[in-house]
Amino acid sequence: MEDALLLGLNTVWQIATLGFVALGLAIVFGLLRIMNMAHGEFVMIGAYAPVITTQLGLSPWMQIPVCILSIGVIAFLCERLLIRHFYDRIFDSLLATWGLSLLLRELVELTFGRSFQSVISPLPGTVLFLGISYPLYRLVVLAGLLIFFTVLTIWYRQSLTATRIKAMVANPVLAQAAGIKTARLSASVFVVGCIVSGLSGLMLAPLIRVEPFIGLDYLLRCFFVLVLGGLGSLEGLGIGSVGIGGVQTIVGTISSQTGGYLTILLVSIFFLWLRPRGIYSKN
Amino acid sequence: MKRMKIVVTTLSLVLFTCGLVMAQTAKIGVLIPKSGPGGLFGPSSQNAATLAAEQINARGGLAGQKIELLFGDVGVPPAEAVQTAMGLWKGMGVKAFIGMHDSAVREALIGRFAGQVPYIYTPVYEGGECSTSVFVVGETPDQQLKPVLPWISKKEKVSKWYLIGNDYNWPRDTNKAAKGYIAAAGGSVVGEEYLPFTVNEFDTSLQRIKSSGADAVLITLVGGASVNFNRAFASFGMDKQAIRLGTLIEENTLAGIGKGNSKRLYSSAAYFASLQTPSAKKLIAAYTKRFGNEAAVLNTLGQSTYEGLLLLEALAKKAGSLDAKALEKAAEGVSFSGPRGTATMHGKHVAQSIYVADGSSGTFEVIKSFDNVSPGNNCK
Repeated sequence: MEDALLLGLNTVWQIATLGFVALGLAIVFGLLRIMNMAHGEFVMIGAYAPVITTQLGLSPWMQIPVCILSIGVIAFLCERLLIRHFYDRIFDSLLATWGLSLLLRELVELTFGRSFQSVISPLPGTVLFLGISYPLYRLVVLAGLLIFFTVLTIWYRQSLTATRIKAMVANPVLAQAAGIKTARLSASVFVVGCIVSGLSGLMLAPLIRVEPFIGLDYLLRCFFVLVLGGLGSLEGLGIGSVGIGGVQTIVGTISSQTGGYLTILLVSIFFLWLRPRGIYSKN
Repeated sequence: MKRMKIVVTTLSLVLFTCGLVMAQTAKIGVLIPKSGPGGLFGPSSQNAATLAAEQINARGGLAGQKIELLFGDVGVPPAEAVQTAMGLWKGMGVKAFIGMHDSAVREALIGRFAGQVPYIYTPVYEGGECSTSVFVVGETPDQQLKPVLPWISKKEKVSKWYLIGNDYNWPRDTNKAAKGYIAAAGGSVVGEEYLPFTVNEFDTSLQRIKSSGADAVLITLVGGASVNFNRAFASFGMDKQAIRLGTLIEENTLAGIGKGNSKRLYSSAAYFASLQTPSAKKLIAAYTKRFGNEAAVLNTLGQSTYEGLLLLEALAKKAGSLDAKALEKAAEGVSFSGPRGTATMHGKHVAQSIYVADGSSGTFEVIKSFDNVSPGNNCK
């Protein structure tokens, strides 16, 4: 019973964090059709925010503003100088953002060095949850993500900005004719997407190693999530996260980690081959 | 005409002198990873080698010749690494190589060198290297585990071991050796798993470790995977359930794991920067003086290039030259002393001191040393 409960909690954790990390890519790739190979690097830079606040001697509460500010500035520069030339060129954007990822990695290495940084957990220790010992930080993050995704879903359904975004995604020319400032909206969506990626890195930082190469750990699985679930919708993101995160955790527990990873590879190949639009696609 | 003669004579004299000077230096190639996943160890390897060369030159050099170090980046796929080495060997006239890199590159280089150039392999590895003109300073699994497993089992009163590592030859060979020593110490193996490099989530593995009831985990994960695993292990409070012993947990990995996540974490290796023996402290003093306080931290991988050059010095002294065949003949029984202690060559490997360090405080504290540990039977 305890084992099943632990498996359940681990699965929920994997799905929720995968969903949050992939959200940034879902925004940039799903809405703007930019194949952002630098997505992992924005996650990585976000994970460096605690390192920055420690080095500058700031209070730990400044980690979130520092993260948002640093990612925001970098993403804005990237969008103005590079990304905006690739909105119609989906495969060219793959190459361009791959180059961007190399550049960002090198810049971080030049600034912080290549060695592993260690971020102290703000909530160390375990608590007894439903009878099993589970890390406190993870439980708090899970609660936060639950609230966040609920608010996001409601906002995406109701708000005017969300409607404008959906219009721009569905038909950019018509949206512009209707008076929506597509250039400004695209730039904002890109910056917000990268900030979300950065915040997911910040959230993960106490749990993982922090060094310039961690971006690659997350990139592939985020693409798998979108391939499985479908681009351009929160429902697709949800389905993809449950599919990839859930399958890898459950198969990984029953069989082995190799089996788990192999299974999600096979699932992704299958979907790329037979149903590239994903399970939930609107067009 | 007369001016022409003066020019030619002067030029010849200059070239002759240069030739004399060049013939005086022994070019030694040091192959280290400056890029790629192993790039973390590039700076410490380079510094250690540079310091060793300077100190050896002050003592008279290698068989009368001053060392000139030429560095090559082998943090690249094996085929490219071979090209780099060939450039140094055939192109730049390197007489011998010190190699601090992974096994795939080593296999490729040995295939190309074909025993024609002396090659000293320095990092911890899986054992079994027997090729001609290859000499190994690096720790073998036998060395790291044979005295350590029974000692730590008794000290920590553990007997149920879980083996976890990445999926390639070094972890598998290490675990093969470990199983024998665990059994000999009266323990049992309650689980064994290998992870692909692409997996960075350890929840499922941790659940398995928990339900297996293991009280000791032997970690042969490498690099980032090791850091992530150990952090996750500690976050679940599993350090209360089991000790952790690693054979490749060095100072950088421990720094990444972080204080608070490293309770009851032990590492078995031939070198730690915090070693308190006189020779080790002397090295740190010289290293800090030469490279400053902010220089790359020494660790068993980075410092191994220093040991490699010490071995080369001892071999060259006994053989009287740097000729590959002469070194091969002189190898057996050669002995040298350095920061790690005394090492003696047997079967192309060295019997050396092995240290066990406790990482609980966030930095390594060496708590036990075993001297003259045999490298095992590598060349059958």
